[in-house]
Amino acid sequence: MEENKIINNPEQTPQASSKMKIQLTKENKMKDKKWVVYLSRYWQLYALLFLPILYLIIFKYLPMVYVQIAFKDYKFRESVWALPFTKNYGFGHFIKAFKNADFRYAIRNTVVLNLLDLVVGFPAPIIFALILNELKLPKFKKVVQTVAYMPHFLSWIIVASLALQLFAPSTGLVNVAVKALGGEPIPFLNEPTHWVVTYILIGIWQSFGWNSIVYLAAIAGINQELYEAASVDGAGRFRKMWHITLPGIKPTIVVLLVMALGNILGSSFDRPFAFQNNTVMNVSNVISTFVYSYGIKGLKFELSTAVGLFQSVVGVIFLLLANNISRRLGERGIW
Amino acid sequence: MKKRVLSLVLAACMVVPTVACTGSDAANPGDGNQPGQVAVDEMPDTDAVAAAVESGEIVDGKFVETRHITVEVYDRGNDGGTDPTNNMYTDYIKQGMLDTYNVEVEFVAVPRWTEVDELNNLLAAGTAPDICVTYDYATIQQYAKMGGVLDLSDLVADNASLTPNLWSWLGVTNMYWDKDPSDGTLWAIEGKRAVTNRINTFIRKDWLDQLGLDVPTTTDEFEACLVAFRDNADTLLGSEANMMIPYSVSYDVGWRAATLIESYIDPEISDFDYYVNGFDDRKLTVPGTKEAVRKLNAWYNDGLMWNDFAMYSNGETVEDDYMKAGYVGAFSHNWDYPFRNGDDSINASLKRTVGEDACFIAIDPFQDKNGGHTKFVTSSAGDRKIFFPDSNDEPLASLLYLEWISDPAHIQYLQLGDEGVTHNVLEDGSYEIIAATGDPIQNSGFNIDYTITCNGLNLADPDKTVLSIAHSYAGIDPAIVKEANKIANTDARHEKNVNVGVIEAEDGMGTALAEKRDILYDMAVSCAVADFDATWDKYMEDYLSSGGQDIIDERTEKWNATFGDSKMLPED
Repeated sequence: MEENKIINNPEQTPQASSKMKIQLTKENKMKDKKWVVYLSRYWQLYALLFLPILYLIIFKYLPMVYVQIAFKDYKFRESVWALPFTKNYGFGHFIKAFKNADFRYAIRNTVVLNLLDLVVGFPAPIIFALILNELKLPKFKKVVQTVAYMPHFLSWIIVASLALQLFAPSTGLVNVAVKALGGEPIPFLNEPTHWVVTYILIGIWQSFGWNSIVYLAAIAGINQELYEAASVDGAGRFRKMWHITLPGIKPTIVVLLVMALGNILGSSFDRPFAFQNNTVMNVSNVISTFVYSYGIKGLKFELSTAVGLFQSVVGVIFLLLANNISRRLGERGIW
Repeated sequence: MKKRVLSLVLAACMVVPTVACTGSDAANPGDGNQPGQVAVDEMPDTDAVAAAVESGEIVDGKFVETRHITVEVYDRGNDGGTDPTNNMYTDYIKQGMLDTYNVEVEFVAVPRWTEVDELNNLLAAGTAPDICVTYDYATIQQYAKMGGVLDLSDLVADNASLTPNLWSWLGVTNMYWDKDPSDGTLWAIEGKRAVTNRINTFIRKDWLDQLGLDVPTTTDEFEACLVAFRDNADTLLGSEANMMIPYSVSYDVGWRAATLIESYIDPEISDFDYYVNGFDDRKLTVPGTKEAVRKLNAWYNDGLMWNDFAMYSNGETVEDDYMKAGYVGAFSHNWDYPFRNGDDSINASLKRTVGEDACFIAIDPFQDKNGGHTKFVTSSAGDRKIFFPDSNDEPLASLLYLEWISDPAHIQYLQLGDEGVTHNVLEDGSYEIIAATGDPIQNSGFNIDYTITCNGLNLADPDKTVLSIAHSYAGIDPAIVKEANKIANTDARHEKNVNVGVIEAEDGMGTALAEKRDILYDMAVSCAVADFDATWDKYMEDYLSSGGQDIIDERTEKWNATFGDSKMLPED
């Protein structure tokens, strides 16, 4: 690439460019040698890398061979390569998916729930990290931190069962208390709007502690002298937070935001699946649960694959866009 | 993305057992019934010599070399149960198969309440057992289409001489029930239902007595009982009055209120109307169902029903626990539901936790428009289906397993167990089941999970069977069971086999439509009274446009093509 550029450059004379070419070739040879040198010098490290790469190839790349069944009529025992393409030039399954009203609802629900998660859930760990950082008693800080991490280690199935015990309309603990105080039971889990709020808030409760770790690590990396200098200048606690801590963790925030945006159409399976019930299906059925109940349980593997592929492609587009925007805004992005 | 699909499958594998391991009898054995095809073939020639015998593969009825097969068995996860793949009954089968045919048998457990999902995973992975059992024919069909199921037509016909018990027990009807009328393929054999009872309604006898109420015999009287339960919660439950549930259903309203729903259906409904609306057995689109659900909706809004019924999905035990704890006044379910599971049965639990006289009895309150008590019950086929996935390398050994398990003597031993341990012989010669603990415990009633060709008690002597059923529930008064059996058979209308070929529109729609159906029922029961019509119409529209209407249309079309203008099936 580099060589071509130079040759095509009209300002260079042919002789000069050929001279440079020779030089470059030499450099390239040296580079080749360097590569060998690196490999022989650090072979242990490369050997360590071998297994993870093998893992990626076997479990992440090889299965992609089957992506093609999104465009084909799947038969159990035949080679995927030999299968015929489905109707509409192979796009039959995509057309079928988009014609399905439940799928369109699932897209809407996925985007809405993910956006809400992002808007409400994204700032929570940042704020928590900032607060935690201001705590002066190390022991108290540790305890608060640990308590906040805990829910992360509960599976969504357990969290959903807890939610049911607490928020069920007639026997949930909270509603029993509400009724005992003379109030009307609150339909936390069986009325769409309430369900969404419950779903989002429980999600935040489960993950904000864990997600704050990254920010705390970033805060720890900020130069303490900045704080001291600010104190000398008479800056108060909030000034310091605003002008030192937040700018200090801004790159981290941006990277995580980019990654969250890349996942806007992605959805975990267990969280919505564990929380949904028949009364709120029109807001709780997201793409992953749709694929499970309609595609996998209905044995429509091609359709499931088509939907998954669509999800991934949209995810990549969002990721690239977000990354691009963040770089334009002067941040590093994720690559 | 295969990756995503794979991860979902994995996620499902993780989710599914978590839910399933707490499973109770909440699901229904009748799930997914579909009228199959009428048997067209005659009984094959049993005198013909099977190819395996001719080739010397089998000598004196035994394999020369030891064969190995795997067999699916349901895991019901019941309290105090044994490992379904390894207990005294599996040992009996294993030893018997080894001695009779020189075949080693290995059992593979599949959670009962999520069997279809689990089986899907196993089939997709190519690791399904050699002999699979399911209630869901749609799954078999779907896999057959993808080339994942063995065609049994030649296998069963060619080896009829080796399988006399199988043929005599199931008969041509059940053997060939699923045989495709056009291309002759046979993907599954229908196991036989020994008892065709379906659903009963139950009420707390002790509560009726306590409040001085008679056993309700009409829908209005039943409603009056529910109102009385609600209004007297303080008397009946004391400090736990707020737990009162006069009438309980689960998310699966179509099954759990079936007796009420069926009473709103025209008892003289034509075979045609019954068939075109019969994609599943929950009667959603049958005329009359809407008015039945309106009744439930009124009850729900009057505080006569369990508020949280839609919150819990398949396999959760919350509702059963409420019944056992004595909070529930009445419910409808499988005809013998409160008697099942020995010491862990609902009635036995009630006796322990509430008091000696606390029990549920079967009642027959819902009248149809003619004053009868029509119940739409099943035929002896259309129950469990047995199929061999194409990963089965031992089709003959597998078929011989079915032969062995259909032997009346083997069925009888598996169903009754040992005298003095799992049953006593009574004076009239009938058998009484006693609750066993430890290894002899039967994980399923009469071990029906092992007698895969026979669902329900079936003894060598049919008279003793009838007598024994009443005695078959450990710890339950036989008079109560006898009455429940009688009620379940009152005005029973048996399902007929409609043979019009495969309905393409049903392909793979089973689970998607079942979910929509349940959502419709749940929303319609729990909405405000004023919103009932709007709610029903909205969700019905969704159900029909999502494939429900296509199925009705294709069924109508194929019925017309086969039977013309006649709305009734021809008499045999």
